[in-house]
Amino acid sequence: MTLVLIAMIGALLIPMIEALQDEDIWQRMLAFASIATKTSVMILVIAVLQDDWMIGVVGVLILSVGNAALMLLAHIIKRLSDVMD
Amino acid sequence: MVNILSYGCIVLGLVFWFWGTWPLLGRRSVLYKLHGLSVADTLGSMTIVVGLLLRIPQEWPLLVLALISLAIWNTVLGYVLAYCVTDDGGQEVSHGG
Amino acid sequence: MADSPMMSSYVYAIMLLLPLSAAMVILQRNPYQALVMRGILGAIAALVYAMLGGADVALTEALVGTMLAITLYVVAVRSSLVMRLGVLEGEGAKKNLQWQPMLDYLRALLKRYQLRLELVPYADDQALYQALAAKEVHGICLMDRTGQTAEEVAPRILVRVRRLADIFATELPGAIAEAKLYRDDQLDPLPLSSALTEEHL
Repeated sequence: MTLVLIAMIGALLIPMIEALQDEDIWQRMLAFASIATKTSVMILVIAVLQDDWMIGVVGVLILSVGNAALMLLAHIIKRLSDVMD
Repeated sequence: MVNILSYGCIVLGLVFWFWGTWPLLGRRSVLYKLHGLSVADTLGSMTIVVGLLLRIPQEWPLLVLALISLAIWNTVLGYVLAYCVTDDGGQEVSHGG
Repeated sequence: MADSPMMSSYVYAIMLLLPLSAAMVILQRNPYQALVMRGILGAIAALVYAMLGGADVALTEALVGTMLAITLYVVAVRSSLVMRLGVLEGEGAKKNLQWQPMLDYLRALLKRYQLRLELVPYADDQALYQALAAKEVHGICLMDRTGQTAEEVAPRILVRVRRLADIFATELPGAIAEAKLYRDDQLDPLPLSSALTEEHL
């Protein structure tokens, strides 16, 4: 199970490298969306691994609420680039 | 038996994750990456959660909630991101406010 | 705890992601890109807190630290990092040959200072001066040159923010636009310019 988690860390590193190297803000938003989903699934895996019900609840909450910030940010950035161009 | 099945699901989800995330590093358009990401990432995450569900069936409400929110939110997020990326036809000047 | 060294290995690997993403936040120059990075940092911080057993801290980080803070910051950055330039509405300003090059140059110049340009149209020169005096805009763009070649000379920009005036004085060539600092004690431009516009009409 820890091997699964280490593989997940590897999968998490890909969007981080992408966010580091790409200058386009939309590519970074994509990396952010990917990382947000991956971290919350990792929290769920850790909750099962440590057999901790509370961490699982937090993972599900972050999974279901965390994307809202992403949508707000996407809309504001879109309106911003509309004004700039 | 269930353990093997659960590991199979989790490994399959990991394969989906890598398959969907790997194109992020390339020089493709945002929409291409978004397509791969929203399909493979959501499917991979849901497969992983199903694998977890097979391991601890007694906590099914939590994981079913995770499945539902994954399916709904990632689809909606994919739509919102695609809408925000593509619609750049407006050249208008913002009027105050 | 038979798998204790294995367990600690992934704990350390995840915790190493935290300073990495924090460094990514610090190294950004553009505030919006830094906010996206802040979201990544918040997601990874929530993961670390949840992994170390602080479920409440993780939930707070995700809801307040990531969602609320990013929303508030992006609103604040959007409304503060902007230069509002009052312009004449209609076709009068766009007839000037220097108009579009000036806008492009201004946008590129302000972009280097992470500012964006917002155009606020007004009806005539008098409304422009009133808006500048009432601090509705940071600067106004005037087209009040007289003569035969009025459509070829550079526009005049009056700004009331001293820092913007300094930037324009050093980096804006006079051939593109002539920038000046506007102060409240300069009372004479108002009647002069209104007379000029009447002459034009």
